[in-house]
Amino acid sequence: MAAAFASKCSRVGRSLLGGLGKNLSGSLTASNETVCSSFISQQQRTFIQMRTVLKVVDNSGAKKVMCIQALKGKKGARLGDTIVASVKEAHPNGKVKKGKVVYGVVVRAAMQKGRCDGSEVKFDDNAVVLVDKQGQPIGTRVFGPVPHELRKKKHVKILTLAEHIA
Amino acid sequence: MRLEKCWFCSSTVYPGHGIQFVRNDAKIFRFCRSKCHKNFKMKRNPRKVKWTKAYRRLHGKDMTQDSTFEFERKRNRPERYDRNLTEETLRAIKKIDKVRAEREARHIARRMKGKKGKELKEARKELEQSISMVKPPALLKEDPSLTLPKIQVKVAQSQAEKNQPMEE
Repeated sequence: MAAAFASKCSRVGRSLLGGLGKNLSGSLTASNETVCSSFISQQQRTFIQMRTVLKVVDNSGAKKVMCIQALKGKKGARLGDTIVASVKEAHPNGKVKKGKVVYGVVVRAAMQKGRCDGSEVKFDDNAVVLVDKQGQPIGTRVFGPVPHELRKKKHVKILTLAEHIA
Repeated sequence: MRLEKCWFCSSTVYPGHGIQFVRNDAKIFRFCRSKCHKNFKMKRNPRKVKWTKAYRRLHGKDMTQDSTFEFERKRNRPERYDRNLTEETLRAIKKIDKVRAEREARHIARRMKGKKGKELKEARKELEQSISMVKPPALLKEDPSLTLPKIQVKVAQSQAEKNQPMEE
């Protein structure tokens, strides 16, 4: 019993400290970017549509792509959908060159998407993994969290490459 | 099926409720309702918002350390189904809930114990120190300087305005 109490105490203490640290850093940053960040966070997040610039989170060589077509949905693409994009920024010696038209799967979207149980999930940014026409990823690594809904969309390869599954 | 805790208010998030936000470092923030999500977006600290569990725990409003909390724990190994065990668990839940409610009530009672006496003492002190501010009503009648003077205001009624509706 005593041991249990002790563990409880230590956990509470740690969370206290963690919270304090977080609060400190938060208050420091909050002072100078309150206005702009609050504006961004209040912005309405929408579909990934034509001219949306997305981050590429694999090692295919592209850095930024611009969406030129969503392959599904009238309004645009959402989390897990496939898009056609043009490469806007690329690493000098990667597989994918600037100006090429590529296919990509949206693995992170700032717009919330309903899950199968009715809750919702949203991410920090809009990110894409480049794939070929058959749906096989071009790169060999995937960075950052990806949603488990990709399994439903038959992108198991991306899921196995991913670091974190949310 | 897992019952998660809301990141902001620490209430239980039942399946199918709320929204979860995944940060780029894969930390998941779960929120029980849009109220908590909005407060998070406003960058509020749950320790400074009075209605959250974090605030109440931090300020000693709620019971924090109790053996009844030990039963509610995150377990990563699924329990193998056993009918007898389930029955016993279901019975235990009620019992534990009752015990916890009793202990919480006791905690609050203990916390509020000194309050009534303190208030009474303060009131007595105030009465003692500032009784001079209060004058009995009989004194006010005798000495008019203690009350505000009554000013009579005359309302002028214009004759023309009064007669107009009659002419029509």
